[in-house]
Amino acid sequence: MKETQTDGTEVQTVPQLLAHALALETEASERYGELADQMEIHRKTAVAAIFRRLEVAEKQHLAGLAALCKDVELPHYAPWDFKWSSNEGPETIDIGRVSYQLSVREAVLLALEHERRATQFYVDVAAAAKAPDVIALARQFADEEREHSGWLQNCLAECGADDSKASEDPDPPLCQE
Amino acid sequence: METVVRNYKAKDYKSEVKPIWCPGCGDYTVLNAVTRALAELALPPHEVAIVSGIGCSSRIPAYTNVYGFHGVHGRALPVATGLKLARPDLTVLVTGGDGDGFSIGGNHFMHACRRNVDLTYIVMDNQVYGMTKGQASPTTAPDWEGSKLTPQGTGINPFQPLVIGLASGANFIARVSSSDPVNMAQIIVQAVRHPGFSLVQVLSPCVTFRPEQSVWRDYVRTAEVDYTDDAARAARRLMTDDGFNVGKVLFKGSRAPYRPEFERSSGSIAELESRFML
Repeated sequence: MKETQTDGTEVQTVPQLLAHALALETEASERYGELADQMEIHRKTAVAAIFRRLEVAEKQHLAGLAALCKDVELPHYAPWDFKWSSNEGPETIDIGRVSYQLSVREAVLLALEHERRATQFYVDVAAAAKAPDVIALARQFADEEREHSGWLQNCLAECGADDSKASEDPDPPLCQE
Repeated sequence: METVVRNYKAKDYKSEVKPIWCPGCGDYTVLNAVTRALAELALPPHEVAIVSGIGCSSRIPAYTNVYGFHGVHGRALPVATGLKLARPDLTVLVTGGDGDGFSIGGNHFMHACRRNVDLTYIVMDNQVYGMTKGQASPTTAPDWEGSKLTPQGTGINPFQPLVIGLASGANFIARVSSSDPVNMAQIIVQAVRHPGFSLVQVLSPCVTFRPEQSVWRDYVRTAEVDYTDDAARAARRLMTDDGFNVGKVLFKGSRAPYRPEFERSSGSIAELESRFML
């Protein structure tokens, strides 16, 4: 629904990039945490473990980022003013795309899609930026996102037949019977 | 004078209680949009209250860190009205679902619009009673056959909340989709800032009892026109749209909010008795 499709090309300074990265990583970390909580509450422990692992990874990422931002005055962006084309941050999984029957494989694929989107955002920033320090930092962030994608690709390779099955519901809602 | 810098984040408005909604439920998105909006408004949590009735969506007060009141079914608006009149300094939001707001609390809804107290009413409309496992609600289409209570549908035309809200005097009307929490936050910010009674309808799918609503995200489109302050024009737009024009404010009125003046009281029983003496 966002009307501007900028993909980060308007990010031209280090404070702008850091403000975007901070929001992107914060949102992603919180969303992975929310999804892990949702799945734990519904006793989908295997899927919850994937999201929890990613929440921890994002928090580590965030800690490093916070250190980088320590002495930088960051510009304020309202949530709707960030220069990415997605509604929420590119790494933030849309809540509407999960369900209580999500399989492990589907969860990994969903996370992989969003980790790649985050990488692409930083790649686009690096491609459009003019300042060398912005380009270098955006490339560094893109590489860090690729590490998460690498881990998820390994998870995907390890997925067995059971991991691809939708979780069964022994007591489905009447309207789904 | 000391300057207080208030730098709130959405997370500051969330409580430690974990939501128990179904994964994929639109209500998660509304919770995220409300907390984002409060952070953007930089409202200290102790200056905000969220009031609700009963239903899945009415659980929101428990999941937030502001003052909350999880009330009786359909009675969120009278409670919120009383709170706002007694404590006009508080920002009062009301949250609930279509059944709570338009059926059990239907009359309160119309009169809250009419009174135009400065409240923001966010209705998560999923066209079903989800908490009681999927019965037709006032906004359900007449031919929905998903409940054994209404095997051939209700056969009754659905309630049109925005049209009725407009006709009853709501001062701000918008429709948003749970598929876009950032736009929703932006609209909630405007709703809170606009004086008087603000009505925000959220198309919020029930993924469990109305799984077919998952396609709403593909149906919704950004409304092509900006808001009007002309109620007749807003009514024509609402009567001719298909319910999927979202993302923008539809109507902003200029009616002054209801703010009754109270005489200062000493608080003594004798004085109170003298006021109510016939």
